[in-house]
Amino acid sequence: MKTSLLTTTAAAMFALSFTAGGASAAGKWDGADDLPTSPLACDASGAAAPAAAKPYDGGQPTNAPDKAGKEITVVDVPKLIGIGYFNATSKGMQDAAKELGNVKVTTDGPTEAKIDEQIKFIDNYITRGVDGVMFAANDPVAIAPVLKKALSKGIHVVGYDANSTPDAREWFVNQAEFNGIGKSMMDSMAKEIGEDGSFAIVTSTFTTPNQARWIAEMQAYTEKCHPKMQWLETVEAQEDNNLSFNQATTLINKYGDKLKGLFGMTSVATPASAEAVTKAGQCGKIAVVGLATPNAMKPYVNADCVKSVVLWNPVDLGYAATYVMRAVADGKLKPGATSVEAGKLGKLSVVNGSEILLGPPFIFNKDNVTKFDF
Amino acid sequence: MTLAMETKTFRVPRWLKRHETLLAIILLIALFGLGLLNDRFLTLDNLLNQGRLMTEIGLIALPMTFVIITGGIDLSVGAIVGLCAIMLGYSWKIFGFPLPLAIVFSLFVGALAGFINGLVITRVKVPPLIMTIATLALYRGLAEGISQAHSVRGYPEWFYFLGQGSVFGVPTQLLVLLVLIVIAGIVLDRTTFGRALYAIGANETAARFSALSVDRVKLVVYTLSGLASGLAAWVLVSRVTTTRMDMGIGYELDVIAAVVLGGTSIFGGSGTIWGTVIGLVMIQLLKNGLALTGVKGDATIVVIGVALILSVLIASSLQRRRD
Repeated sequence: MKTSLLTTTAAAMFALSFTAGGASAAGKWDGADDLPTSPLACDASGAAAPAAAKPYDGGQPTNAPDKAGKEITVVDVPKLIGIGYFNATSKGMQDAAKELGNVKVTTDGPTEAKIDEQIKFIDNYITRGVDGVMFAANDPVAIAPVLKKALSKGIHVVGYDANSTPDAREWFVNQAEFNGIGKSMMDSMAKEIGEDGSFAIVTSTFTTPNQARWIAEMQAYTEKCHPKMQWLETVEAQEDNNLSFNQATTLINKYGDKLKGLFGMTSVATPASAEAVTKAGQCGKIAVVGLATPNAMKPYVNADCVKSVVLWNPVDLGYAATYVMRAVADGKLKPGATSVEAGKLGKLSVVNGSEILLGPPFIFNKDNVTKFDF
Repeated sequence: MTLAMETKTFRVPRWLKRHETLLAIILLIALFGLGLLNDRFLTLDNLLNQGRLMTEIGLIALPMTFVIITGGIDLSVGAIVGLCAIMLGYSWKIFGFPLPLAIVFSLFVGALAGFINGLVITRVKVPPLIMTIATLALYRGLAEGISQAHSVRGYPEWFYFLGQGSVFGVPTQLLVLLVLIVIAGIVLDRTTFGRALYAIGANETAARFSALSVDRVKLVVYTLSGLASGLAAWVLVSRVTTTRMDMGIGYELDVIAAVVLGGTSIFGGSGTIWGTVIGLVMIQLLKNGLALTGVKGDATIVVIGVALILSVLIASSLQRRRD
């Protein structure tokens, strides 16, 4: 009797997992989100169909105290602390704070890119009472309730790098248009591996907002302009160095000669993938294209393992976010505005209702990578 | 004739020497100290909010106390939370269950996951540590595979009442937790089932020979552990309005820390719900109080670690004195 109970339970469990797995094997997961995409034109002009101006769709704080001209304390809660990318955004914020003179910015956050921890950090700062919260979200929907709580307590909320749902924040500073990034990445890869090469993607997690958006745009652009390129697989590496390296090595071993290119979607994944390619002795045979800080990629770019690195300037991103926060607190940036003054960056335009665009993506390669230090 | 000097020795009452009382005193001192350092800490708003945030760990810590008292452990609770969260969203979106049925289904999945743990531990005699480490990976893998990393969002408004609403100003999930704390405390202290847990933890062979249905009791506690994880998953999804397959990662360590801090011996045979509650509150309020005072994130982890070590030292020194 006892054995048959055990075997039946085990059998039922296996059956359950197989049916469940089978039911969902139908949709192959590639890391893209389900929002609509708008791929750019295939040629060098890269002009998108002009989008109709969207009305302001951000949230607003309730009874925010009037801090025009007064000193404000702002907390910055990035996805995680301790990686070069967010160290750079933090530096940009400190630069802007020093220039403005009446902004105090503290950067604090979880040591792993976990949304639950990030929510707790923001919650504690709300209780402490800050004037503004800047964030880069680990999950756009999960972070919304705590941000709305901040808005309801009269705290200004500005996002950068990774968005939340629009009504949970006042403004979002977008480093580059998602379709612009998609185009730069795919064009760089196509130039290196040819129009019928096959590639794989190493991303953070499938639900991180910015990576998911970029992959969706890359997919749409590839279908439009590089239809013969083959996408092999997308793997998750959670902004962890070791995991990114292991995942990239697994991909290289799994696909062997079929793999011609690797995309790194996070500033941690790209150097790790380049390291994996170097360690596997495939430098020059497998192209590595991705988003990364120039410092992390200098050794690989100089060794000709990586030809080009796509990014924007994260220092500028933090800088712009701080200026936006100051403008919002001063009442100078209201819903419906079409541009904002951002110190040395000049006038930044408002797109998509409540997003502020930093500018076009920047390509680092052997000629210019030594000029940067972040 | 000798003058008998009447010496009155002051004897410390027994209840004062218990681990839980000492912990409660430390907790009060810590609360007072942190309250002095930061005026936002002891506000009702903040304390209720912390109660809301600690419910998920608290719900799982109750049956975990039972499990550890029997001398076992359950490391798969975090993975069960992830699995139940996924099953809640998945069965609602993909299978098309009406949302109440999806909730019941996810609770059932949690109970089943715990039941499987208990079954293998009692029938096949795999040590609980090994089995639950294995199911930690299995259940997390199932959560990833079933969800294919899709999040499920867009729940109806009424669903958020559990995670974000309040009843008479008290967060809903906190009320649920309080009710379950009372029930768990009564079960542990006043029922034969509770008595059996202590017996099994103290000496399992003796318990077996005393005609206690050891296997059945163990099966029940592991199933309860899985069920509580499912309940915690429900609260979590309701609180963050989305499901993610990485939900619950690391919960097992927080839960076990709360239980052990509360005086439950990791070797089994002793422990109280009251102690677990104090341990839970202490960890949550320490983290919160320190963060409010301006201590940066990583330093609070150091403080929690130190608190845990101190607690174990106090517990073991009390134990030695008792022996």
